[in-house]
Amino acid sequence: MIFHPAIIALILSSIFISFLMTYSSYFSFLIQRKWDLKSGSDLQLTLERRTYLVSTILPYVFAFQILSFFLYIYTADQLHTLFVGAMCAAGSLYVNSYGYPTLILKGVNFLLAGLWLILNYVDNRGYDYPLIKKKYAFLLFMTPFILAELILQANYFFRLRPDIITSCCGTLFSGEGKSLAADIVALPSLPLKVAFYLSMFLTLLSGIYFCRHGRGGYIFAGMSALTFVISLLSIFSFISLYIYELPTHHCPFCILQGGYGYIGYPLYLTVLGGALSGMGVGILSPFRNTKSLSAVIPSVQRKLALTSVLLFLIFTVIVSVRMLISDFILEGY
Amino acid sequence: MIQLKNITKVFNQGKPNEFTAIDGVSLSIDSNKVTVFEGPSGSGKTTLLSLIGCMSRPTSGRIHLMDQEITSLPERFLTEIRRKTFGFVFQHFHLIQSITTLENVMLPAYPSGEKHSALRKRAMELLDLFNISSKATVKVKWLSGGEAQRVAIARALINNPSVIIADEPTAHLDTKLSLELLEILGKLKNNQKTVLIASHDPFIFESAIVERLIRIRDGKIDGRAA
Repeated sequence: MIFHPAIIALILSSIFISFLMTYSSYFSFLIQRKWDLKSGSDLQLTLERRTYLVSTILPYVFAFQILSFFLYIYTADQLHTLFVGAMCAAGSLYVNSYGYPTLILKGVNFLLAGLWLILNYVDNRGYDYPLIKKKYAFLLFMTPFILAELILQANYFFRLRPDIITSCCGTLFSGEGKSLAADIVALPSLPLKVAFYLSMFLTLLSGIYFCRHGRGGYIFAGMSALTFVISLLSIFSFISLYIYELPTHHCPFCILQGGYGYIGYPLYLTVLGGALSGMGVGILSPFRNTKSLSAVIPSVQRKLALTSVLLFLIFTVIVSVRMLISDFILEGY
Repeated sequence: MIQLKNITKVFNQGKPNEFTAIDGVSLSIDSNKVTVFEGPSGSGKTTLLSLIGCMSRPTSGRIHLMDQEITSLPERFLTEIRRKTFGFVFQHFHLIQSITTLENVMLPAYPSGEKHSALRKRAMELLDLFNISSKATVKVKWLSGGEAQRVAIARALINNPSVIIADEPTAHLDTKLSLELLEILGKLKNNQKTVLIASHDPFIFESAIVERLIRIRDGKIDGRAA
Protein backbone atom coordinates (compact mmCIF):
# COMPACT_ATOMS: atom_id res chain seq x y z
CA MET A 1 0.00 0.00 0.00
CA ILE A 2 1.11 3.55 -0.69
CA PHE A 3 0.57 6.03 2.12
CA HIS A 4 -1.01 8.98 0.46
CA PRO A 5 -3.44 11.35 2.28
CA ALA A 6 -6.17 10.84 -0.32
CA ILE A 7 -5.84 7.03 -0.14
CA ILE A 8 -6.16 7.09 3.64
CA ALA A 9 -9.13 9.47 3.36
CA LEU A 10 -10.84 7.22 0.80
CA ILE A 11 -10.27 4.04 2.80
CA LEU A 12 -11.37 5.55 6.11
CA SER A 13 -14.43 7.21 4.62
CA SER A 14 -15.38 4.01 2.85
CA ILE A 15 -15.14 2.08 6.13
CA PHE A 16 -17.22 4.74 7.85
CA ILE A 17 -19.84 4.79 5.08
CA SER A 18 -20.03 0.99 5.06
CA PHE A 19 -20.46 0.88 8.82
CA LEU A 20 -23.31 3.38 8.69
CA MET A 21 -24.88 1.57 5.75
CA THR A 22 -24.75 -1.73 7.64
CA TYR A 23 -26.47 -0.13 10.61
CA SER A 24 -28.99 1.55 8.31
CA SER A 25 -29.68 -1.80 6.64
CA TYR A 26 -30.57 -3.30 9.98
CA PHE A 27 -32.82 -0.32 10.58
CA SER A 28 -34.27 -0.66 7.06
CA PHE A 29 -35.05 -4.28 7.79
CA LEU A 30 -36.93 -3.24 10.93
CA ILE A 31 -38.84 -0.62 8.95
CA GLN A 32 -39.89 -3.21 6.36
CA ARG A 33 -41.03 -5.64 9.02
CA LYS A 34 -42.45 -3.51 11.81
CA TRP A 35 -43.46 -0.10 10.46
CA ASP A 36 -47.13 0.64 11.12
CA LEU A 37 -48.09 4.29 11.27
CA LYS A 38 -51.51 3.47 12.71
CA SER A 39 -49.95 1.87 15.74
CA GLY A 40 -48.94 3.95 18.73
CA SER A 41 -46.70 1.22 20.08
CA ASP A 42 -43.42 1.84 21.80
CA LEU A 43 -41.54 0.26 18.87
CA GLN A 44 -43.35 2.31 16.23
CA LEU A 45 -42.58 5.58 18.02
CA THR A 46 -38.97 4.49 18.45
CA LEU A 47 -38.75 3.79 14.70
CA GLU A 48 -40.25 7.21 13.96
CA ARG A 49 -37.66 8.91 16.16
CA ARG A 50 -34.81 6.87 14.73
CA THR A 51 -35.75 7.56 11.15
CA TYR A 52 -35.05 11.27 11.80
CA LEU A 53 -31.55 10.32 12.88
CA VAL A 54 -30.92 8.03 9.90
CA SER A 55 -32.37 10.40 7.33
CA THR A 56 -30.35 13.26 8.80
CA ILE A 57 -27.02 11.42 8.82
CA LEU A 58 -27.29 9.63 5.49
CA PRO A 59 -27.42 12.74 3.29
CA TYR A 60 -23.99 13.71 4.64
CA VAL A 61 -22.75 10.16 4.11
CA PHE A 62 -24.01 10.09 0.54
CA ALA A 63 -22.72 13.56 -0.17
CA PHE A 64 -19.26 12.21 0.60
CA GLN A 65 -19.99 9.05 -1.37
CA ILE A 66 -20.72 11.25 -4.38
CA LEU A 67 -17.58 13.34 -3.84
CA SER A 68 -15.48 10.23 -3.36
CA PHE A 69 -16.06 9.30 -7.01
CA PHE A 70 -14.13 12.35 -8.11
CA LEU A 71 -11.60 12.02 -5.29
CA TYR A 72 -10.88 8.47 -6.42
CA ILE A 73 -10.20 9.57 -10.01
CA TYR A 74 -8.15 12.53 -8.78
CA THR A 75 -6.12 10.22 -6.52
CA ALA A 76 -5.49 7.74 -9.32
CA ASP A 77 -4.38 10.64 -11.49
CA GLN A 78 -2.05 11.95 -8.78
CA LEU A 79 -0.49 8.50 -8.30
CA HIS A 80 0.45 7.95 -11.92
CA THR A 81 3.94 9.36 -11.40
CA LEU A 82 4.72 6.43 -9.11
CA PHE A 83 4.17 3.72 -11.71
CA VAL A 84 6.40 3.02 -14.64
CA GLY A 85 4.41 3.35 -17.84
CA ALA A 86 1.47 5.26 -16.39
CA MET A 87 0.71 8.66 -17.93
CA CYS A 88 -2.53 9.43 -16.12
CA ALA A 89 -5.26 7.78 -13.99
CA ALA A 90 -5.77 5.18 -16.74
CA GLY A 91 -2.38 3.62 -16.02
CA SER A 92 -2.74 3.89 -12.22
CA LEU A 93 -6.09 2.12 -12.31
CA TYR A 94 -4.56 -0.63 -14.45
CA VAL A 95 -1.86 -1.42 -11.87
CA ASN A 96 -4.01 -4.25 -10.54
CA SER A 97 -7.30 -5.84 -11.47
CA TYR A 98 -9.32 -3.90 -8.85
CA GLY A 99 -8.81 -0.36 -10.12
CA TYR A 100 -11.39 -0.28 -12.91
CA PRO A 101 -14.08 -2.37 -11.15
CA THR A 102 -13.82 0.07 -8.23
CA LEU A 103 -14.22 3.00 -10.59
CA ILE A 104 -17.30 1.49 -12.23
CA LEU A 105 -18.82 0.66 -8.85
CA LYS A 106 -18.15 4.18 -7.63
CA GLY A 107 -19.97 5.49 -10.68
CA VAL A 108 -22.93 3.21 -10.00
CA ASN A 109 -22.95 4.20 -6.32
CA PHE A 110 -22.77 7.86 -7.34
CA LEU A 111 -26.05 7.48 -9.21
CA LEU A 112 -27.68 5.29 -6.55
CA ALA A 113 -26.70 7.66 -3.74
CA GLY A 114 -28.02 10.62 -5.72
CA LEU A 115 -31.34 8.91 -6.40
CA TRP A 116 -31.69 7.97 -2.74
CA LEU A 117 -31.04 11.58 -1.73
CA ILE A 118 -33.84 12.69 -4.06
CA LEU A 119 -36.23 10.14 -2.55
CA ASN A 120 -35.22 11.12 0.97
CA TYR A 121 -35.65 14.83 0.25
CA VAL A 122 -39.17 14.27 -1.00
CA ASP A 123 -40.14 11.81 1.74
CA ASN A 124 -39.09 14.31 4.41
CA ARG A 125 -41.59 16.77 2.98
CA GLY A 126 -44.59 14.50 3.50
CA TYR A 127 -46.33 14.57 6.87
CA ASP A 128 -47.06 10.84 6.90
CA TYR A 129 -43.70 9.30 5.84
CA PRO A 130 -45.14 8.52 2.39
CA LEU A 131 -42.03 6.89 0.89
CA ILE A 132 -40.53 5.45 4.03
CA LYS A 133 -40.72 1.77 3.08
CA LYS A 134 -39.61 2.42 -0.48
CA LYS A 135 -36.66 4.56 0.44
CA TYR A 136 -35.43 2.07 3.03
CA ALA A 137 -35.94 -0.81 0.61
CA PHE A 138 -33.78 1.15 -1.81
CA LEU A 139 -31.21 1.55 0.96
CA LEU A 140 -31.20 -2.23 1.48
CA PHE A 141 -30.63 -2.66 -2.24
CA MET A 142 -27.72 -0.20 -2.15
CA THR A 143 -25.86 -1.68 0.79
CA PRO A 144 -24.23 -4.61 -1.07
CA PHE A 145 -22.93 -2.16 -3.69
CA ILE A 146 -21.41 0.06 -1.01
CA LEU A 147 -19.84 -2.93 0.76
CA ALA A 148 -18.53 -4.30 -2.54
CA GLU A 149 -16.98 -0.91 -3.23
CA LEU A 150 -15.24 -1.00 0.16
CA ILE A 151 -13.78 -4.43 -0.59
CA LEU A 152 -12.72 -3.64 -4.16
CA GLN A 153 -11.29 -0.26 -3.24
CA ALA A 154 -9.37 -1.72 -0.28
CA ASN A 155 -7.99 -4.44 -2.54
CA TYR A 156 -6.97 -1.87 -5.10
CA PHE A 157 -5.16 0.38 -2.65
CA PHE A 158 -3.61 -2.40 -0.54
CA ARG A 159 -2.22 -4.08 -3.64
CA LEU A 160 -0.59 -0.97 -5.04
CA ARG A 161 3.16 -1.47 -5.45
CA PRO A 162 5.35 1.35 -6.72
CA ASP A 163 7.58 -1.06 -8.64
CA ILE A 164 4.80 -2.32 -10.89
CA ILE A 165 5.08 -1.64 -14.60
CA THR A 166 1.71 -0.71 -16.02
CA SER A 167 0.31 0.32 -19.37
CA CYS A 168 -0.24 3.88 -20.51
CA CYS A 169 -3.58 5.20 -21.68
CA GLY A 170 -2.38 5.19 -25.28
CA THR A 171 -2.22 1.40 -25.11
CA LEU A 172 -5.29 0.86 -22.98
CA PHE A 173 -7.57 3.03 -25.09
CA SER A 174 -6.34 2.26 -28.55
CA GLY A 175 -8.79 0.87 -31.07
CA GLU A 176 -6.54 -2.01 -31.95
CA GLY A 177 -6.85 -4.13 -28.82
CA LYS A 178 -9.43 -6.78 -27.95
CA SER A 179 -10.85 -5.22 -24.78
CA LEU A 180 -14.20 -3.53 -24.19
CA ALA A 181 -12.42 -0.17 -24.12
CA ALA A 182 -10.86 -0.95 -27.49
CA ASP A 183 -14.27 -1.83 -28.90
CA ILE A 184 -15.72 1.41 -27.61
CA VAL A 185 -12.97 3.62 -29.00
CA ALA A 186 -13.22 1.80 -32.30
CA LEU A 187 -16.87 2.87 -32.68
CA PRO A 188 -17.32 4.88 -35.89
CA SER A 189 -17.28 8.56 -34.98
CA LEU A 190 -19.79 9.96 -37.47
CA PRO A 191 -22.77 7.73 -36.51
CA LEU A 192 -21.92 8.29 -32.86
CA LYS A 193 -21.85 12.05 -33.39
CA VAL A 194 -25.31 11.84 -34.95
CA ALA A 195 -26.52 9.64 -32.08
CA PHE A 196 -25.02 12.04 -29.52
CA TYR A 197 -26.63 15.20 -30.92
CA LEU A 198 -29.92 13.45 -31.65
CA SER A 199 -30.24 11.93 -28.18
CA MET A 200 -29.20 15.22 -26.58
CA PHE A 201 -31.76 17.12 -28.66
CA LEU A 202 -34.54 14.68 -27.75
CA THR A 203 -33.56 14.78 -24.07
CA LEU A 204 -33.60 18.57 -23.99
CA LEU A 205 -36.89 18.61 -25.88
CA SER A 206 -38.55 16.08 -23.56
CA GLY A 207 -37.11 17.96 -20.54
CA ILE A 208 -38.51 21.29 -21.69
CA TYR A 209 -41.85 19.63 -22.47
CA PHE A 210 -41.91 18.14 -18.97
CA CYS A 211 -41.08 21.50 -17.37
CA ARG A 212 -43.90 23.20 -19.28
CA HIS A 213 -46.62 20.56 -19.12
CA GLY A 214 -45.63 18.30 -16.23
CA ARG A 215 -46.05 15.22 -18.42
CA GLY A 216 -43.68 12.70 -19.95
CA GLY A 217 -41.54 12.17 -16.85
CA TYR A 218 -40.67 8.58 -17.70
CA ILE A 219 -39.70 9.44 -21.27
CA PHE A 220 -37.45 12.25 -20.07
CA ALA A 221 -35.86 10.01 -17.41
CA GLY A 222 -35.27 7.26 -19.97
CA MET A 223 -33.81 9.73 -22.44
CA SER A 224 -31.51 11.13 -19.71
CA ALA A 225 -30.17 7.64 -18.97
CA LEU A 226 -29.70 6.89 -22.67
CA THR A 227 -28.00 10.23 -23.33
CA PHE A 228 -25.72 9.61 -20.36
CA VAL A 229 -24.52 6.33 -21.87
CA ILE A 230 -24.16 7.82 -25.36
CA SER A 231 -22.28 10.82 -23.93
CA LEU A 232 -19.80 8.57 -22.14
CA LEU A 233 -19.26 6.56 -25.32
CA SER A 234 -18.83 9.83 -27.21
CA ILE A 235 -16.15 11.02 -24.81
CA PHE A 236 -14.24 7.83 -25.53
CA SER A 237 -14.91 7.81 -29.21
CA PHE A 238 -14.64 11.35 -30.55
CA ILE A 239 -14.88 14.13 -27.90
CA SER A 240 -11.51 13.22 -26.43
CA LEU A 241 -9.91 13.35 -29.88
CA TYR A 242 -10.98 16.97 -30.36
CA ILE A 243 -9.61 17.90 -26.94
CA TYR A 244 -6.25 16.19 -27.49
CA GLU A 245 -6.22 17.08 -31.19
CA LEU A 246 -4.78 13.64 -31.84
CA PRO A 247 -6.52 11.03 -33.98
CA THR A 248 -5.50 8.04 -31.85
CA HIS A 249 -5.64 9.28 -28.26
CA HIS A 250 -8.97 8.29 -26.70
CA CYS A 251 -8.09 8.44 -23.00
CA PRO A 252 -11.03 9.57 -20.81
CA PHE A 253 -8.66 10.53 -17.98
CA CYS A 254 -6.03 12.80 -19.52
CA ILE A 255 -8.77 15.41 -19.98
CA LEU A 256 -8.75 15.75 -16.19
CA GLN A 257 -5.21 17.07 -16.24
CA GLY A 258 -4.02 20.68 -16.11
CA GLY A 259 -2.54 20.43 -19.58
CA TYR A 260 -6.07 20.32 -20.97
CA GLY A 261 -7.46 22.96 -18.62
CA TYR A 262 -9.07 20.36 -16.36
CA ILE A 263 -11.88 20.26 -18.93
CA GLY A 264 -12.76 16.71 -17.89
CA TYR A 265 -14.14 17.84 -14.53
CA PRO A 266 -16.88 20.11 -15.92
CA LEU A 267 -17.63 17.50 -18.60
CA TYR A 268 -18.08 14.63 -16.15
CA LEU A 269 -19.81 16.79 -13.55
CA THR A 270 -22.38 18.10 -16.00
CA VAL A 271 -23.10 14.77 -17.67
CA LEU A 272 -23.37 12.91 -14.35
CA GLY A 273 -25.43 15.68 -12.77
CA GLY A 274 -27.69 15.87 -15.83
CA ALA A 275 -28.24 12.13 -15.84
CA LEU A 276 -28.86 11.98 -12.11
CA SER A 277 -31.42 14.79 -12.02
CA GLY A 278 -33.07 13.47 -15.17
CA MET A 279 -33.41 9.98 -13.72
CA GLY A 280 -34.61 11.59 -10.47
CA VAL A 281 -37.67 12.84 -12.37
CA GLY A 282 -38.47 9.25 -13.31
CA ILE A 283 -37.95 7.80 -9.86
CA LEU A 284 -40.46 10.28 -8.41
CA SER A 285 -43.10 9.85 -11.09
CA PRO A 286 -44.84 6.80 -9.55
CA PHE A 287 -45.54 8.82 -6.39
CA ARG A 288 -47.09 11.91 -7.98
CA ASN A 289 -50.57 10.94 -6.82
CA THR A 290 -49.57 10.26 -3.22
CA LYS A 291 -51.85 12.57 -1.22
CA SER A 292 -49.26 14.11 1.09
CA LEU A 293 -46.81 14.63 -1.79
CA SER A 294 -49.19 15.85 -4.46
CA ALA A 295 -48.05 19.44 -3.95
CA VAL A 296 -44.40 18.59 -3.40
CA ILE A 297 -43.44 16.18 -6.19
CA PRO A 298 -44.43 18.26 -9.25
CA SER A 299 -42.38 21.17 -8.00
CA VAL A 300 -39.35 18.99 -7.16
CA GLN A 301 -39.62 17.20 -10.50
CA ARG A 302 -39.76 20.50 -12.37
CA LYS A 303 -36.62 21.71 -10.57
CA LEU A 304 -34.86 18.42 -11.32
CA ALA A 305 -35.85 18.54 -14.97
CA LEU A 306 -34.67 22.13 -15.25
CA THR A 307 -31.35 21.23 -13.60
CA SER A 308 -30.93 18.27 -15.91
CA VAL A 309 -31.71 20.30 -19.04
CA LEU A 310 -29.31 23.02 -17.94
CA LEU A 311 -26.47 20.60 -17.16
CA PHE A 312 -26.89 18.63 -20.39
CA LEU A 313 -26.99 21.90 -22.28
CA ILE A 314 -23.75 23.08 -20.65
CA PHE A 315 -22.17 19.73 -21.48
CA THR A 316 -23.24 20.04 -25.13
CA VAL A 317 -22.03 23.63 -25.34
CA ILE A 318 -18.60 22.76 -23.90
CA VAL A 319 -18.24 19.81 -26.27
CA SER A 320 -19.49 21.71 -29.32
CA VAL A 321 -17.37 24.80 -28.68
CA ARG A 322 -14.34 22.60 -28.21
CA MET A 323 -15.06 20.82 -31.49
CA LEU A 324 -15.63 24.10 -33.35
CA ILE A 325 -12.55 25.94 -32.13
CA SER A 326 -10.28 22.93 -32.53
CA ASP A 327 -7.94 22.84 -35.52
CA PHE A 328 -8.41 19.11 -35.55
CA ILE A 329 -10.51 17.56 -38.32
CA LEU A 330 -11.67 14.11 -37.30
CA GLU A 331 -13.53 12.80 -40.30
CA GLY A 332 -11.20 11.06 -42.70
CA TYR A 333 -9.22 9.19 -40.04
CA MET B 1 -61.12 18.51 20.33
CA ILE B 2 -57.91 16.96 21.58
CA GLN B 3 -57.83 13.21 22.01
CA LEU B 4 -55.18 11.23 23.86
CA LYS B 5 -55.05 7.48 23.27
CA ASN B 6 -53.15 5.33 25.72
CA ILE B 7 -50.34 7.83 26.18
CA THR B 8 -47.23 6.73 28.05
CA LYS B 9 -44.12 8.78 28.66
CA VAL B 10 -41.09 7.08 30.13
CA PHE B 11 -37.90 8.98 30.88
CA ASN B 12 -34.51 7.23 30.80
CA GLN B 13 -36.10 4.11 29.38
CA GLY B 14 -34.08 0.94 29.94
CA LYS B 15 -31.77 2.63 32.44
CA PRO B 16 -31.65 2.07 36.21
CA ASN B 17 -33.26 5.47 36.77
CA GLU B 18 -36.18 4.77 34.41
CA PHE B 19 -39.22 6.82 35.36
CA THR B 20 -42.75 6.56 34.02
CA ALA B 21 -44.18 10.08 34.11
CA ILE B 22 -47.40 9.28 32.24
CA ASP B 23 -48.87 5.83 32.33
CA GLY B 24 -51.48 4.87 29.74
CA VAL B 25 -53.57 8.03 29.80
CA SER B 26 -56.59 8.22 27.47
CA LEU B 27 -58.88 11.21 27.44
CA SER B 28 -60.74 13.73 25.31
CA ILE B 29 -60.52 17.47 25.85
CA ASP B 30 -63.28 19.67 24.47
CA SER B 31 -62.50 22.82 22.52
CA ASN B 32 -63.30 26.32 23.81
CA LYS B 33 -63.35 25.27 27.44
CA VAL B 34 -61.11 25.76 30.46
CA THR B 35 -59.68 22.45 31.61
CA VAL B 36 -57.45 22.12 34.64
CA PHE B 37 -55.07 19.25 35.34
CA GLU B 38 -54.73 19.02 39.07
CA GLY B 39 -52.35 16.90 41.07
CA PRO B 40 -49.39 16.97 43.43
CA SER B 41 -45.86 17.78 42.35
CA GLY B 42 -44.40 15.01 40.21
CA SER B 43 -47.80 13.63 39.26
CA GLY B 44 -47.18 14.20 35.52
CA LYS B 45 -49.21 17.37 34.85
CA THR B 46 -46.41 19.29 33.16
CA THR B 47 -45.33 16.24 31.16
CA LEU B 48 -48.88 15.74 29.93
CA LEU B 49 -49.17 19.39 28.89
CA SER B 50 -45.82 19.23 27.08
CA LEU B 51 -47.04 16.17 25.17
CA ILE B 52 -50.32 17.84 24.21
CA GLY B 53 -48.45 20.99 23.17
CA CYS B 54 -46.04 19.02 20.94
CA MET B 55 -43.10 20.05 23.10
CA SER B 56 -42.14 16.41 23.56
CA ARG B 57 -43.14 13.07 22.11
CA PRO B 58 -44.76 10.18 23.99
CA THR B 59 -43.03 6.85 24.42
CA SER B 60 -46.18 5.17 23.15
CA GLY B 61 -49.72 6.17 22.28
CA ARG B 62 -51.18 8.73 19.91
CA ILE B 63 -52.55 12.25 20.24
CA HIS B 64 -55.13 13.64 17.81
CA LEU B 65 -55.64 17.35 17.40
CA MET B 66 -59.03 17.82 15.74
CA ASP B 67 -58.78 15.15 13.02
CA GLN B 68 -55.03 15.13 12.71
CA GLU B 69 -52.75 12.65 14.42
CA ILE B 70 -49.81 14.72 15.68
CA THR B 71 -47.45 12.38 17.51
CA SER B 72 -46.12 10.79 14.32
CA LEU B 73 -45.54 14.08 12.53
CA PRO B 74 -42.00 14.88 11.46
CA GLU B 75 -40.46 17.78 13.34
CA ARG B 76 -40.90 20.34 10.52
CA PHE B 77 -44.69 19.86 10.69
CA LEU B 78 -44.77 19.80 14.48
CA THR B 79 -43.03 23.17 14.61
CA GLU B 80 -45.76 24.64 12.45
CA ILE B 81 -48.53 23.18 14.63
CA ARG B 82 -46.79 24.30 17.82
CA ARG B 83 -46.49 27.81 16.44
CA LYS B 84 -50.00 28.17 15.07
CA THR B 85 -52.10 26.10 17.45
CA PHE B 86 -50.56 26.46 20.89
CA GLY B 87 -49.63 29.40 23.07
CA PHE B 88 -47.55 28.62 26.13
CA VAL B 89 -47.45 30.38 29.48
CA PHE B 90 -44.63 28.88 31.50
CA GLN B 91 -44.38 28.66 35.27
CA HIS B 92 -41.26 30.87 35.30
CA PHE B 93 -42.50 32.89 32.30
CA HIS B 94 -39.23 32.32 30.36
CA LEU B 95 -39.14 35.88 29.07
CA ILE B 96 -35.88 37.21 27.66
CA GLN B 97 -34.75 39.66 30.30
CA SER B 98 -32.45 41.84 28.23
CA ILE B 99 -34.92 42.84 25.51
CA THR B 100 -38.03 44.96 25.71
CA THR B 101 -41.55 43.90 26.54
CA LEU B 102 -42.67 44.55 22.97
CA GLU B 103 -39.84 42.51 21.47
CA ASN B 104 -40.61 39.61 23.82
CA VAL B 105 -44.21 39.58 22.69
CA MET B 106 -43.29 39.77 18.99
CA LEU B 107 -40.56 37.12 19.15
CA PRO B 108 -42.63 33.92 18.59
CA ALA B 109 -44.10 35.42 15.41
CA TYR B 110 -40.79 36.25 13.74
CA PRO B 111 -40.47 32.87 11.96
CA SER B 112 -43.84 33.44 10.28
CA GLY B 113 -42.28 36.16 8.14
CA GLU B 114 -45.15 38.53 8.80
CA LYS B 115 -44.54 42.18 7.98
CA HIS B 116 -42.83 43.84 10.95
CA SER B 117 -45.21 46.82 11.11
CA ALA B 118 -48.29 44.55 11.15
CA LEU B 119 -46.71 42.37 13.81
CA ARG B 120 -45.79 45.35 15.93
CA LYS B 121 -49.36 46.67 15.69
CA ARG B 122 -50.77 43.33 16.81
CA ALA B 123 -48.31 43.07 19.70
CA MET B 124 -49.25 46.58 20.86
CA GLU B 125 -52.94 45.64 20.74
CA LEU B 126 -52.23 42.66 22.99
CA LEU B 127 -50.25 44.79 25.41
CA ASP B 128 -53.18 47.22 25.41
CA LEU B 129 -55.56 44.37 26.15
CA PHE B 130 -53.57 43.52 29.25
CA ASN B 131 -53.00 47.16 30.23
CA ILE B 132 -49.23 47.12 29.90
CA SER B 133 -48.73 49.06 26.68
CA SER B 134 -47.02 51.79 28.71
CA LYS B 135 -44.22 49.28 29.40
CA ALA B 136 -43.71 48.32 25.75
CA THR B 137 -40.25 49.83 25.49
CA VAL B 138 -39.12 48.78 28.97
CA LYS B 139 -36.76 45.85 29.30
CA VAL B 140 -38.41 42.84 30.90
CA LYS B 141 -35.91 42.72 33.76
CA TRP B 142 -37.42 45.95 35.11
CA LEU B 143 -41.00 44.60 35.21
CA SER B 144 -42.84 43.47 38.33
CA GLY B 145 -44.01 39.84 38.68
CA GLY B 146 -47.57 40.68 37.65
CA GLU B 147 -46.43 42.69 34.65
CA ALA B 148 -44.09 39.92 33.55
CA GLN B 149 -46.92 37.45 33.77
CA ARG B 150 -49.16 39.59 31.57
CA VAL B 151 -46.32 39.92 29.06
CA ALA B 152 -45.97 36.12 29.06
CA ILE B 153 -49.69 35.76 28.30
CA ALA B 154 -49.54 38.40 25.57
CA ARG B 155 -46.60 36.54 24.05
CA ALA B 156 -48.58 33.28 24.15
CA LEU B 157 -51.34 34.97 22.15
CA ILE B 158 -49.24 36.67 19.46
CA ASN B 159 -49.76 33.90 16.91
CA ASN B 160 -53.47 33.79 17.69
CA PRO B 161 -53.42 30.14 18.85
CA SER B 162 -56.60 28.20 19.47
CA VAL B 163 -55.18 26.50 22.57
CA ILE B 164 -53.50 28.22 25.53
CA ILE B 165 -51.38 26.02 27.77
CA ALA B 166 -50.47 27.41 31.17
CA ASP B 167 -48.22 25.51 33.54
CA GLU B 168 -48.68 26.42 37.22
CA PRO B 169 -49.53 30.00 36.31
CA THR B 170 -50.14 31.14 39.88
CA ALA B 171 -47.09 29.51 41.44
CA HIS B 172 -45.33 32.85 41.93
CA LEU B 173 -48.31 35.15 42.28
CA ASP B 174 -50.04 36.69 45.27
CA THR B 175 -53.83 36.63 45.62
CA LYS B 176 -54.38 39.92 43.79
CA LEU B 177 -52.31 38.85 40.81
CA SER B 178 -53.92 35.41 40.80
CA LEU B 179 -57.35 37.06 40.59
CA GLU B 180 -56.08 39.19 37.75
CA LEU B 181 -54.89 36.04 35.97
CA LEU B 182 -58.26 34.34 36.38
CA GLU B 183 -59.92 37.39 34.90
CA ILE B 184 -57.60 37.19 31.87
CA LEU B 185 -58.22 33.46 31.46
CA GLY B 186 -61.96 34.16 31.57
CA LYS B 187 -61.50 36.66 28.72
CA LEU B 188 -59.62 34.07 26.70
CA LYS B 189 -62.37 31.53 27.22
CA ASN B 190 -64.94 34.07 26.04
CA ASN B 191 -62.78 34.57 22.94
CA GLN B 192 -63.31 30.90 22.01
CA LYS B 193 -59.89 29.76 23.17
CA THR B 194 -59.28 26.33 24.64
CA VAL B 195 -57.41 26.82 27.92
CA LEU B 196 -55.42 24.00 29.51
CA ILE B 197 -53.93 24.65 32.92
CA ALA B 198 -51.72 22.50 35.12
CA SER B 199 -52.04 23.57 38.73
CA HIS B 200 -52.16 22.33 42.28
CA ASP B 201 -53.38 25.68 43.52
CA PRO B 202 -57.00 25.44 44.86
CA PHE B 203 -57.38 29.08 43.90
CA ILE B 204 -57.27 27.96 40.28
CA PHE B 205 -59.10 24.65 40.24
CA GLU B 206 -61.89 25.86 42.54
CA SER B 207 -62.46 28.91 40.36
CA ALA B 208 -65.81 29.36 38.62
CA ILE B 209 -64.22 29.70 35.19
CA VAL B 210 -62.95 26.11 35.27
CA GLU B 211 -65.29 23.81 33.39
CA ARG B 212 -63.46 20.56 33.77
CA LEU B 213 -61.06 19.26 36.37
CA ILE B 214 -58.86 16.27 35.66
CA ARG B 215 -57.02 14.81 38.63
CA ILE B 216 -53.67 13.19 37.97
CA ARG B 217 -51.68 11.07 40.35
CA ASP B 218 -48.60 8.97 39.61
CA GLY B 219 -49.01 9.57 35.89
CA LYS B 220 -52.56 8.26 35.76
CA ILE B 221 -55.96 9.89 35.72
CA ASP B 222 -57.30 9.65 39.22
CA GLY B 223 -60.86 10.81 38.67
CA ARG B 224 -62.77 13.53 36.88
CA ALA B 225 -65.00 16.35 37.90
CA ALA B 226 -66.68 19.11 35.99
